Amino acid sequence: MLGQEHAQELGEHATEAAGKFDAGKTIIEHVSNSSVEHPLLHLPTLFGINFSVTKHVLMLWLVAAFVFFVVTLTVRKFLKQDRPIPTGFMNALEALVEFIRDSIALPNVGKKWVNTWTPLLLTFFVFIFCANAIGLIPVFEVVGIVDHFVLHTGEHSFLKQLLHGGTTATSNFNVTAALAVITFVSIITAGSKAHGFVQHWKNMVPHGLAWPLYFLLIPIEIMGMLVRPFALTMRLAANMTGGHIAILAILSFVFLFTEMFGQAIAGVGVGLAVSVPLATAISGLEIIVVLVQAYVFTLLSAVFIGMAIHVHH
Amino acid sequence: MEGNAIAFFGVALGLGLVVIGAGLGIGKLAAGAAEGIARQPSAADKITGAVNLPLFLLEGVAILAEVFALLIVLLK
Repeated sequence: MLGQEHAQELGEHATEAAGKFDAGKTIIEHVSNSSVEHPLLHLPTLFGINFSVTKHVLMLWLVAAFVFFVVTLTVRKFLKQDRPIPTGFMNALEALVEFIRDSIALPNVGKKWVNTWTPLLLTFFVFIFCANAIGLIPVFEVVGIVDHFVLHTGEHSFLKQLLHGGTTATSNFNVTAALAVITFVSIITAGSKAHGFVQHWKNMVPHGLAWPLYFLLIPIEIMGMLVRPFALTMRLAANMTGGHIAILAILSFVFLFTEMFGQAIAGVGVGLAVSVPLATAISGLEIIVVLVQAYVFTLLSAVFIGMAIHVHH
Repeated sequence: MEGNAIAFFGVALGLGLVVIGAGLGIGKLAAGAAEGIARQPSAADKITGAVNLPLFLLEGVAILAEVFALLIVLLK
């Protein structure tokens, strides 16, 4: 009899099949990668690295293709025109290149190396900005709605598998760690190109100190060298995840209030009054955060590369 | 279960302290920048450029603290 009452209560609630709304699980599911056991495209494991394609890998490819085609086609169209003054999108692209070259690369890296390091910094900025921004566009959610009401594909179809996980590739700390490793290697390359490989390592500690001090300084410098890319990684990944988690948590209020009061109108009321305006405001903030985080990653990479080239102690 | 409760309490307290620290730091930076620009409006661009980097480093520290707090909560 107790079971019957319990079942009746569950039936009265808004959610029919799933039972209690687990906010934590839903939020984590929408932010993390798709499941590693059921990847989108199963590829073999070579040398201990599983090459299967998960959602974030797919987003990496899509963002890379998007950036590549947009930038290349724009520049080619402009070059074929044979006009020295660009218009339209090419104008914006040129403004971006000039901005990064003149206010990020030039003050940090110096006039001699500007042309060497600007392409890398531009790549960082454009890729990270596009990867962050594409994470804000709910394409897969729309696909999910279309699939739910129109297409009705099977339980384990490719379309359904696409819906698990978040769209922001840079919210995965593995992706941002890869970008930070590129920065790490660039710092060593920049120092080696400017001063020679051995001299770059000798530049890390100031010259002419008493020899016992070096026992203290060298571990600190090495730790500093490793902590900086780690901070770059976590900064970008955490900023991207944090915004999404905040938006999802606020939207979960709708379902939590519905469960608490047992009626859909409670959830809808909370949604209209609180959740949707707040989520919209935070989404607006997210747009700023997307831009700022791309800028910060690029700026810090430029600063670290500049520190390897112009050593001041 | 008791250990978990203390962990949550510690994490919440720690996060609050981190927010206080970050808020104070960023506030000081903003105050210094505003005062500098007020004294010499022509140097506004330079001052903004100089403030940018420490601002984001400090924000990065706060975000790092949030990440470790989340790790403690999720890994128990």
